[in-house]
Amino acid sequence: MASIEEVVPASIIGTSLARVDGPLKVSGGAMYSSDHNFPGMLYAVPVCSTIAKGTITSLDSSAAEAMPGVQAVYHRKNIGQLFRAAPPVGFSGLIDERRPPFEDDVIRYYGQYVAVVVAQTFEQAMAASAAVKVSYAGEKPDVSTTLSSDEKPKVDTTRGDADGAFASAAVKVDETYVTPVETHNPIELHASVAVWDGKGFTLYETSQAVGNHREVMAQMLGVPLENVRVISRFLGSGFGGKLWPWPHCLLAAAASRNLNRPVKLVVSRKMMFQNVGHRPLTQQRIRLGATADGMLTSLQHDSLNHTSILDDYGEGCGEATGYLYSTANLRVTSGLVRRNVGNPTAMRGPGAVPGLYALESAMDELAIKLKMDPVELRLKNEPKLDESLGIPFSSRHLKECLTVGAEKFGWSQRKAGVGAMQRDGLTLGWGVGVCSWIAARIGCEATVELKADGTARVACGTQDIGTGTYTILAQIVAEKAGIPIEKVEVVLGDTKLPAGPISGGSWVTSSVIPAVADATQKAMQTVLMAAVQGKDARFAGKKPEDLVFSGGRVQVKGGSAETSVAYAEVLRAANLGGVSGTGKSEGTFGVPPKVSQHSFGAQFVEVTWQPATARLRVNRVVTVIDAGRVLNTRAGRNQIEGAVMMGVGMAMLEHTTYDQRNGAPINSNLADYVVATHADTPQIDVTFLDYPDLSLNEYGARGIGEIGLAGIAAAITGAVYHATGVRVRELPVRIEDLLGGTARA
Amino acid sequence: MADEKQKAGSAEDSGGAAGKVTRRSFLSHLGAAGVAATASPLLAAAPAAAAMPEASEAASDAKIVGSVPVSLRVNGKVLKLQVDPRATLLDTLRESAGLTGTKKGCDHGQCGACTVHVNGRRVNSCLSFAVMHEGDEITTIEGIGQPGNLHPMQAAFVEHDGYQCGYCTSGQIMSAVALLKEPCGPTDADVKELMSGNICRCGAYPNIVAAVQQVRLRS
Amino acid sequence: MDLFQFSRAESVAQAVAAGAESPTAQQGAQVRFVAGGTTLLDLMKLNVERPQRVVDINKLPLDKVERTADGGLKIGALVRNSDLAHNEMVQKDYAVLSQALLSGASAQLRNMATTGGNLLQRTRCVYFRDTAMACNKREAGSGCSAIGGFNRMLAILGTSEQCIATNPSDMNVALTALEATIHIQGAKGERSVPIHDFFVVPGSTPQQENVLEPGDLITYVTLPAPAAGSKSVYLKLRDRASYEFALASAAVVATVEGGRLKRVRIAMGGVGTKPWRMVEAEKALEGHAVNEGTLHKAAEAALRGAKPQSENGYKVELAKRCLMYAVKQATQAV
Repeated sequence: MASIEEVVPASIIGTSLARVDGPLKVSGGAMYSSDHNFPGMLYAVPVCSTIAKGTITSLDSSAAEAMPGVQAVYHRKNIGQLFRAAPPVGFSGLIDERRPPFEDDVIRYYGQYVAVVVAQTFEQAMAASAAVKVSYAGEKPDVSTTLSSDEKPKVDTTRGDADGAFASAAVKVDETYVTPVETHNPIELHASVAVWDGKGFTLYETSQAVGNHREVMAQMLGVPLENVRVISRFLGSGFGGKLWPWPHCLLAAAASRNLNRPVKLVVSRKMMFQNVGHRPLTQQRIRLGATADGMLTSLQHDSLNHTSILDDYGEGCGEATGYLYSTANLRVTSGLVRRNVGNPTAMRGPGAVPGLYALESAMDELAIKLKMDPVELRLKNEPKLDESLGIPFSSRHLKECLTVGAEKFGWSQRKAGVGAMQRDGLTLGWGVGVCSWIAARIGCEATVELKADGTARVACGTQDIGTGTYTILAQIVAEKAGIPIEKVEVVLGDTKLPAGPISGGSWVTSSVIPAVADATQKAMQTVLMAAVQGKDARFAGKKPEDLVFSGGRVQVKGGSAETSVAYAEVLRAANLGGVSGTGKSEGTFGVPPKVSQHSFGAQFVEVTWQPATARLRVNRVVTVIDAGRVLNTRAGRNQIEGAVMMGVGMAMLEHTTYDQRNGAPINSNLADYVVATHADTPQIDVTFLDYPDLSLNEYGARGIGEIGLAGIAAAITGAVYHATGVRVRELPVRIEDLLGGTARA
Repeated sequence: MADEKQKAGSAEDSGGAAGKVTRRSFLSHLGAAGVAATASPLLAAAPAAAAMPEASEAASDAKIVGSVPVSLRVNGKVLKLQVDPRATLLDTLRESAGLTGTKKGCDHGQCGACTVHVNGRRVNSCLSFAVMHEGDEITTIEGIGQPGNLHPMQAAFVEHDGYQCGYCTSGQIMSAVALLKEPCGPTDADVKELMSGNICRCGAYPNIVAAVQQVRLRS
Repeated sequence: MDLFQFSRAESVAQAVAAGAESPTAQQGAQVRFVAGGTTLLDLMKLNVERPQRVVDINKLPLDKVERTADGGLKIGALVRNSDLAHNEMVQKDYAVLSQALLSGASAQLRNMATTGGNLLQRTRCVYFRDTAMACNKREAGSGCSAIGGFNRMLAILGTSEQCIATNPSDMNVALTALEATIHIQGAKGERSVPIHDFFVVPGSTPQQENVLEPGDLITYVTLPAPAAGSKSVYLKLRDRASYEFALASAAVVATVEGGRLKRVRIAMGGVGTKPWRMVEAEKALEGHAVNEGTLHKAAEAALRGAKPQSENGYKVELAKRCLMYAVKQATQAV
């Protein structure tokens, strides 16, 4: 006779699972924002400014209005009232470009929306958008890539006497590193489908944060919050670029309201370079001072990044600098420099990704000066606690990341010296960099319903942006209720659902676990109540506390398993369609931390270099990640591999160039802004250390969406130096950087 | 058009969000494959979605000035359409035929998200006018397989996690299925080269190649 | 995109007659033939091409690859790039052409793009492709924004004060090394033009890219019989490993006899305003053994006339390495 324990399925937390939304994604059935079509829907196409600085002197839409199918051309004078969003509170009310579209006639960046055409078809709207005549009084824009701050930089963190210790250090590195403007370029174009019903909006948005989106849109459109519903069932990824609303969202909604028709607006790839944010240009000076045996005595990280004319976006390059290494003397500062560019926004691993490119490059340069193995240098400067906050780490295994990675990579075979390693007629270069990323929780609510048909439904107003959130929620419910994951329906991406976390910061997984687990427990408790109430109840006469819910079944505590009853049967006996529970968890922000919660990792890279053809390729990557418990290792590994691919692009390919004369992002397409493709894929070996971090949630998960992109660029440029003798301090590494290298043909 | 019909394809349950419309009653011709009716991820084991009921005529949907008739064979069914000659095959599939599984990522042949098969060969549907395809046999992702009856390539993508966000996935799979019949060497490098016209910004490349190689080995 | 009249040509004569109604066959043509569509639709979406009439020529019987009486090859203008690349005769006798085709674009685009269309592929210069910018090629007399602008990808050979746009095709480079002939049906009859004369450098009229007149339809391309014992190679250098235009590329057809290069034909891509035949380099190599010394001499000769711009000076060195390595490969030195 089976005991109750034996019918409980093995834990599916930490296993390798196919995604529950996979079949929809592979069959074209997953509905992304621009897939929504409605009766009578119109198409909106914005008109973009062709100057980067100046004012609109005239706008003539008469020719466009007369074109076939055109319903309206909106601009400052006729779009109607749009408001600014109120200052944000916590994680709500956030928007990076605060000015509503068409607020004034001033142009502050190239491509700024000046009008929007609405027509019966996309083709008609496109044609008419080209027929809107706009005249400008243009001025010379400032899109210079050399940054110097007028204002005194802000000190982000400081300890000891960084200047004094640097001055007296035996070995010093003092270098400046530059990361260019990068554009997120998710393959899904930003899009809004706005449906106005006479008093409110249903907005199908490409959003990583439906709740925030709703609040901002309600404020800017001037309608009550309850009259706005935002839906983002599937997102063709965002990488941070779709965290907050952008001006096109307002254009679609306003046009829908004005015309009383559904309106679809799909941002073009070119506009994706102008109007929906980018990772800003950063310029970072790193000063390292060390003893002759490689102990860091001083660390200074002074960064500047560009921002737009009207809004402040600080990249926060020193994010990880304060706690990564042990040093008594440290100072991190940051400053903003205004340029005629669209406002920057968070891009995957904001701050840490460009910041660790600089810091880890400098560490590599220090290792070379010290004639020390770069892995050893890092091991030597491992801190015992978070020295910036003076508190212990919740779970830090960076040393193990380095040693395990070195072992898997074969680092002990490394021959120091430029061009010292050869294979098959190619020069090899090896490099290493460490990575780190903040771990946190943000407030979350979720509802779990256990249904009489034996299925469960979990609802949460968070989003799955490609990271596997649908599957994570299904896993938690399946685990808690002891039912097969196939029986769990997951509903996300809708402001009608309980408020969920933004899909940012790699925080979703850690945030949803307590809320979903709590909701499941509450639903299970209600099942136990149902099991004892009423004359037909399966356990009539018992008290709920006499029962246990385990493996999807209810039975008397300590009783024999054959008396257990499936919860579905309990519900049916009580004539209940289902019972639900709502769970809630608090965020970690705003509370002084007792432990420092961060993830860590090490990236090892091999490049191949063929001087005769100036061909450089990333050939092999070993990544070891310490990110707590990974709930679904299949999707988790994919996250790290994908981040490594983006890192190959960051290090070798990506660079948004602004024409210095007219301020246009000039390579604004996927043929001139190239991202890594299949053929660029190196051999990638990902290892998770899998130490649960129970300070965040009961499963010990920390989140892994961003960390894999940190450190990789420095590891690549370190490998490039090893192969070629060329130290690239301004990304990306380009062929022209290498043609003059020491390893000539 | 007097005979214009609309159909609700995908509807959220609130007022105003009525569903997908097509310019003609295509969906009944397309059958279940033409309709993606739910965003629920529970569909892993569910049958293909059923067509939604007919909705009323769209009074506001006036004739498109300058439009021309074209007859396309999509996923085995004939579609008689009235299209703007400027409409690409991509926009026609998505905006007129209700087949939104094919995606727009760049509209200029630089990403591969719009890949479909025309007469059995993979092409970028964004760089072709619909009117050029009179009589051509067009296959979209919806015609490759549906949940419950996935093509081996689709099943391999699920098994190998050959995606993240899923947006480029239709194009990746259309390329991968076409690749099975193309000259292609045996190695991963051969597959990578021939799949390079499909950009995956999420970087699921290793898993995509693993999925393709698994299907090639089994077939 | 402007609304246009769409029609399908049932015969070459019909296409020619339709094309002849346009005042020009060059930039600004009012009638355009569409085959693969990969260049035309791209540019029409950008309003760079604004034809009033688009004539679909896909039904014309120009899709065959055949042997010619003299042992050469006759390639129909509508033969798709992928079909041409995989054609057995091409793979056997003109490997450089197959390699060049397969290095270009993506598998999808190669399934669409045609031989005739690829001959007419337009430059990727970002200023040509953006109607908000000045460009002499797109709008004569408006100026060249690329000079002093974003020109990393642009040409260092054959440029003028008016234009520095690169011809982006890989196929054209191979056809140039193979000394192909372009066959044209025009309003006044049929004519044949050697590929070297087909393309014209920008000079003061960058809007003129080739010798086509209104009504001209490229019908096929012929290749001479392969030189006995020759070996050919296409080498393409770029930032991304695939699906990207060349920074520099080289097509080499070489015949080695008795340790010396008896005959060599070299053309390069990514560096010229048209597919660039390296006659000086050929002269420097023919009759000599292939070694570092002769290769350097040839590379120097090839790039002697190079005129770098603000961002593409690296192409001089890159092109030299590309040429040298490709010749080494073609002569089996590597």
